[in-house]
Amino acid sequence: MLALHDVTVRLGGVRVLRDVSLSIETASTIALIGANGAGKTTTLRTIMGLTAMTGRIEFDGIDLTAIAPSRRPKLGIGYAAEDRRLFAGFTVEENIRMPGEVARLSSAELTRRLDRVYDILPELKEMADRPAGAVSGGQGKMVALGRALIIGSKLIMLDEPFQGLAPVLARRYADALRTLRNSDSSLTLIITESNPDLLRKFADRTLVIERGAVRDARPAGADVV
Amino acid sequence: MNAQLVALAVFDGISYAALVFLVAVGLTLVFGVLRVLNVAHGSFYALGAYATASVGGAIFAAGYAPWLAFPLMLLAAVLIGVLVGGPIEKFLLGRIYELEDVLQILVTFAVFMILEDVQRLIWGGQPFFEATALNQLGTVTVFGITYTVYQLIFLPVVAIVVLIGLRLGLRRTLTGRLITAVTEDREAAVTIGIDVERIYLITFIIGASLAAFGGALASATTSVVPGMGADMIVLSFAVVATAGLGQIEGAAVTALLIGLGRSFAVYLWPELEVLIPYIIMFGVLLVRPSGLFGTVQARKI
Repeated sequence: MLALHDVTVRLGGVRVLRDVSLSIETASTIALIGANGAGKTTTLRTIMGLTAMTGRIEFDGIDLTAIAPSRRPKLGIGYAAEDRRLFAGFTVEENIRMPGEVARLSSAELTRRLDRVYDILPELKEMADRPAGAVSGGQGKMVALGRALIIGSKLIMLDEPFQGLAPVLARRYADALRTLRNSDSSLTLIITESNPDLLRKFADRTLVIERGAVRDARPAGADVV
Repeated sequence: MNAQLVALAVFDGISYAALVFLVAVGLTLVFGVLRVLNVAHGSFYALGAYATASVGGAIFAAGYAPWLAFPLMLLAAVLIGVLVGGPIEKFLLGRIYELEDVLQILVTFAVFMILEDVQRLIWGGQPFFEATALNQLGTVTVFGITYTVYQLIFLPVVAIVVLIGLRLGLRRTLTGRLITAVTEDREAAVTIGIDVERIYLITFIIGASLAAFGGALASATTSVVPGMGADMIVLSFAVVATAGLGQIEGAAVTALLIGLGRSFAVYLWPELEVLIPYIIMFGVLLVRPSGLFGTVQARKI
């Protein structure tokens, strides 16, 4: 379970997250919906430890705030930033492998996880040897997902994965997410999105973030105005 | 200028460039990763020279084998990197990464001043000269010019080995790849689990050791005197700025350019000797503000 207790984040004097408290069940798929600037990215970044915050975050019974940001991925948390953030000087496969190497996974375990990534995202295997700096933006999103999958055995957080994807790639990406969810029933997924309709069918639960405050979306039938 | 003088200038330039490269590449590596322009880098050069010359003098006077001069240089470099560089990064620079560049430079300048005084406290003001390593390798005659093997062959070979070693180390070892990843994108590195603070510390120790190694190697060819660290850091800045910050191969080419420029000036226009590196830097930066090999945005090592 992932739980945020009274989490507040200030960036440049502005409260970007205001006393956010929420708990997310293990193995659920969460859509975090909100307009640009509402605080979606900040929420994910805060869970990763990339912002200065007050409050408390718990993950699997562990006080996450007491754990250095660089040690959080080793708990099984994978994160793909909206702007991909690949290491351009490395190949696609080197990018995907790197979190596993950092976590000192055995080479057998790393190979097993890499094969699983390639099962879910076969197109990555075709571009494995290409420099990550040379892939298109959409392909880069796939690589970032693969990189998150390598280490994210329990929780995967994807920041606006569909943003800027061509329709055909977006469908591929959604298929891959479905395969992923079906192949691992214990995985928790948090996906942010600015379009409220896109993830409605896919998510178990939809959270809405507005001006730094998070609430549950009304059930699908109830929000007809 | 006859052929022999040209050859002499080339030899001088190459051997000098090798030393400058070792110091400059450490500076550029540290900048590439930590984004701190470390003025105290020159102190590691001086400390490497003092440690090698003084310890070497003592052990050779006591009758130890002269070949020990070579492992001593390596040992001095590593010890200074770890024992002096390590704590400086961990306890001082580690606290100032969020500050403005100007403040960071001032802090490293303060460290430089402190270390200058530490050198005077330990070794006083008198020069040290300990040429056992130089004498061990003898001389060679090329184009009718007799030159020391140490300066003409050994120093350039060491520089090339360091250049290749750094490149391979950054590419082939896990730590090297993590250093490269942190250089490219510090935040992305954190999100995949890289302990950035540890990488900073390792990089700084490598950089400081390279400067100290440069000093250790230089101590066999020149008197070790107060102020040698200041001369070297200024020259290294010129090399690094001319090459483009964070450029390893660029630092090698530029060190050679500046080394040769300086040695030709010695024979052709001695008054300009000190000025030549800065004239080259000035000329390059006028045309290419981010350096010969620098790119405007990309962070590279």
